[in-house]
Amino acid sequence: MVKALRGNPVGIRLLLCILALLLAAGALALGSSSAARADTTPSPTPTASAAQETIQVWVRLASDKSAVAGVTVVVTGPKNFSQSFVTGADGKVLVGVPRIGDYKVKLDVSTLPDKTLKPAINPLDTPVARNDSGDPAYFLLVPGTASGSGGSGGSTASPSPGSGSSSGDSTNYFALVANLTANGIIFGLLLALASIGVSLIYGTTGLNNFAHGELVTFGALMGYVLSQVLHLPIFIAIIGAFVLGGAFGYLQDMALWKPLRKRGVGLIPLMIVSIGLSLALRYLYEFIFGSDQLILSSNNASALTLGPVHFKQTDLISIVVCVVLLLAVAFVLLRTRIGKATRAVSDNKALAAASGINVERIIRIVWAGSGALAGLAGVLIGYYQTLRWDTGASILLLVFAAVTLGGFGTAFGALVGALIIGLLVNLSTLIIPANLQNAAALLVMILILLVRPQGIFGKRERIG
Amino acid sequence: MDFSFIWLAFGQIISPQTIAYALAALGLTVCFGFTGLVNFGQAGFMAVGGYGFAITTVKFGWPLWASVLAAIVGAIIFAFILGIPTLRLRADYLSIVTIAAAEIVRYTVKTPQFVPVTGGTDGINGSSSTFDAINPIPVGHYGVGVLMYNQDDLWIIIVGWVLTLLCALLVSRLMRSPWGRIVKGIREDEDAVRALGKNVYWYKMQALMIGGTLAAIAAIINIIPTSLQPDNYGTQTTFFLFTIMLLGGATTIMGPIVGSIIFWIVLSLSDGLLSLAVTYHWLPITSVQQGPIRFVIVGVALILIVVFRPQGILGKKSEAYFSA
Amino acid sequence: MPKETTKPVLQIGEPGPGVAKVDPILVADNVTRTFGGMTAVDVQHVEIPRGAITALIGPNGAGKTTFFNLLTGFDRPDSGAWVFDGQDLAGVPAYKVARKGMVRTFQLTKALGLLSVLENMRLGATKQSGEHFFGALFKSTWKKREADITDQAMELLARFKLDTKANDYAASLSGGQRKLLEMARALMTKPELVMLDEPMAGVNPALTQSLLGHILNLKTEGMTVLFVEHDMHMVRTIADWVIVMAEGNIVAEGYPDTVMNDPAVIDAYLGAHHDTDLGSLTGQLEVAQDIDPHLAHEIEEEIEEEAHHDGK
Repeated sequence: MVKALRGNPVGIRLLLCILALLLAAGALALGSSSAARADTTPSPTPTASAAQETIQVWVRLASDKSAVAGVTVVVTGPKNFSQSFVTGADGKVLVGVPRIGDYKVKLDVSTLPDKTLKPAINPLDTPVARNDSGDPAYFLLVPGTASGSGGSGGSTASPSPGSGSSSGDSTNYFALVANLTANGIIFGLLLALASIGVSLIYGTTGLNNFAHGELVTFGALMGYVLSQVLHLPIFIAIIGAFVLGGAFGYLQDMALWKPLRKRGVGLIPLMIVSIGLSLALRYLYEFIFGSDQLILSSNNASALTLGPVHFKQTDLISIVVCVVLLLAVAFVLLRTRIGKATRAVSDNKALAAASGINVERIIRIVWAGSGALAGLAGVLIGYYQTLRWDTGASILLLVFAAVTLGGFGTAFGALVGALIIGLLVNLSTLIIPANLQNAAALLVMILILLVRPQGIFGKRERIG
Repeated sequence: MDFSFIWLAFGQIISPQTIAYALAALGLTVCFGFTGLVNFGQAGFMAVGGYGFAITTVKFGWPLWASVLAAIVGAIIFAFILGIPTLRLRADYLSIVTIAAAEIVRYTVKTPQFVPVTGGTDGINGSSSTFDAINPIPVGHYGVGVLMYNQDDLWIIIVGWVLTLLCALLVSRLMRSPWGRIVKGIREDEDAVRALGKNVYWYKMQALMIGGTLAAIAAIINIIPTSLQPDNYGTQTTFFLFTIMLLGGATTIMGPIVGSIIFWIVLSLSDGLLSLAVTYHWLPITSVQQGPIRFVIVGVALILIVVFRPQGILGKKSEAYFSA
Repeated sequence: MPKETTKPVLQIGEPGPGVAKVDPILVADNVTRTFGGMTAVDVQHVEIPRGAITALIGPNGAGKTTFFNLLTGFDRPDSGAWVFDGQDLAGVPAYKVARKGMVRTFQLTKALGLLSVLENMRLGATKQSGEHFFGALFKSTWKKREADITDQAMELLARFKLDTKANDYAASLSGGQRKLLEMARALMTKPELVMLDEPMAGVNPALTQSLLGHILNLKTEGMTVLFVEHDMHMVRTIADWVIVMAEGNIVAEGYPDTVMNDPAVIDAYLGAHHDTDLGSLTGQLEVAQDIDPHLAHEIEEEIEEEAHHDGK
């Protein structure tokens, strides 16, 4: 078994180094793009990581395939859905749609920078099927009127997005990188919140909890109920998700996991039980809340602008909450009695029990804490991108990837792993199609396992 | 009141879907039940096999035998690629890598850029052409009542069942052989087997390949009467297969088959009953809410089986792979 | 069994750590293994005499089991080479080590619970073509060999008094019977060197005598035995040669009577029963400097292995 949590001061230092590096890289990207023109208003490139249906709008010149930024498109669809979006520096905007159906994407020609160019086909019909992500609505601008022939605006294969913008203004590219990096860090921090629970539960009980995604979703749904149904303020929703998530984790342990531990059920059966629980809970959520996307309304205006990167109010809240919580977790694990006991249990349950630690109590606390962190991650993810009945399940594998990268059972490893995955998921879209972003993260996880099976911070196994 | 759903539910006993899930679960039994490999990527193996078959049939126009071979070879290569990094590692790593790899396959085939080959989210239609071309059954309708089959339906059902029974026989032979003894030993304690001079790594690889091959065949049977849909090979399919395997008995040969039959009958019956309940307002639910219920049922059933009857329906308590 | 009166000379020169043997079956050089900075094994040179019973003893945390794991390919050393019967075994995977005639048992018995006792035995057999995938499908190709294997297995089971249990699940055996089964199963491979990791641990006294007899029999049949043991009575009774490990090093070597009368060894180790707290003994061991990390490590390892075992 991988020795958990030992040598974590090293982990923290490394983590700080990596964070510093990230900040430096981000600052560099910001600095070099500070000259970005004011009229290019790159929306913070939304990157859906949840399995939510999306339409990928992409506006380019037919002549040299260069991206056209700042163009307004109106997306209309079933149930009077109608929303307008502006293309980012890469000429793209990813549109999350609330439900499946047939959508129309109409380009507002009055917002085109060069009025002599028109889209070959406008509007584009874009059917969205279940679990689709990035259904293409690609506009190619050609000289003349909108009835031009041969417009391949539809579903044909396109070159990778990176190549599209490479011929464009290089500052746009930097703006894109900066945005993706910012998104990656936010998403990574959110993943970290969710991952620590997986890691701690694994460390203390040996369980690979496949139902962890449902703890995340639970928090998000509680946030939804508090803020959208009961109309409470956002901070109440966030605190509520944290507290209720903790209670849910605690209850789950009391009602299910503790009795199973008492029965002496093996680890693999437990893992399968967690799968069953995951299915049951997830679809129970769908049963109660429906299959449509739920909107956690927040102020979408930019609250802070750093160079080309715009942060929404909820982005800033997410960052602050994540950093504070992660520091708090580090403090608890390193400095408090409970934290030390938790690490002792992770390290060696029998030895910990022999030295007078109440292992069951520690496990209860870990479940409650993990549930709380997961709930918090859930509600923040809901504000950050999307919320649906399967939001948590859709990031579960990314959470596992983060935990595996860091080394199973090492909480600090999970943190670093999560940041890496967050960045990877976002930055990979520069060179590969957007719907492969999660695949890229999972692939990297597999490759790392190949060279370093114990993860980045885990210790080498004794007998292999 | 329309009770024909009961007959349709019993039609699940022989449906191609039941056959496909039985075969894939049999493959899972070889991996998990007999060898102890926690393969959470069985849906990925099915996807690889299914796409191998459909692409070579529809896009390349290969003959039936070549497409089947392509599916199987694809699954074997997939097993090999997955096995190299993970079979030396702990069981839980295998579970995560296999589930991740299966998802990678699904994401990849859905990528818009690959639409000309994979059909993207729409999948691939019409892969039954070469199979139906050799159908010896005269055109017509066969069956009773609501259970009517045309010649092509009947053809795939017959071939599917023959294949399933053949595969079950083959697996049964394997498991009663010295080869089976070794993989069962690996399930119990791989170090002990290693200490006796057996190449544990290679046996695990073989088990994974056999499991993958069966999944590939299952996928072919699954897509011939319908079409290839990428989202039919998501993680929930693997979890359905685990439920089926554990329901029937993870260390039995007939378990997956019996499990699959029961699984689909129960799901079909519950869907039918819920439809009635919705139509006649017996329950305060809408038709939209009806969909998720089957998954809740599967999830709860999975928990209950693992906790209360780990040996499944056909297994003996003393032979339960994991004793609760 | 009476002790032999005339003992053969096993070593060349004065007995001591690393002394050369007249006819070594296994020679190891500079084998080291560290766990996270702690040196678990650091063996400069050791030779195991052929055709004799050698005991490997030492306090908990001395690195005996780790050394076993290294020699048999179950763990990889940081450095070192060892030659078994003229064949270089460093870096050779465990299953190949076993095929070369060097077979081991485990401290925590690894009976395969859901296989019958007879199947456990058959698993040890070699040259069974039915173990190959395609061969397995055709029973006619392996039926005859299987019958021979079964005969061999039943013979061994009879000798170990397990023949009446042949068709029971191995899980139904007592701890001592499992030890016997594991040893018998190892013999199915027809080994030259049998390595037993604490064969007496967890065996009830009634079985002790027969287990000793079985080990002595191995020697009679021409096999070499290397075993790790804490039971000093057993070491005195059956060992021809004793190697003492501490701190990962070999600190003493010689004939049982001599070694076990060596005041340093007695003071350091033999004076204490193996389950007393060795922490209090560390200062007395000549070579002991800082035993605690190793000790902690080994205890952890044992607890962990047990936990793993129980979790099964």
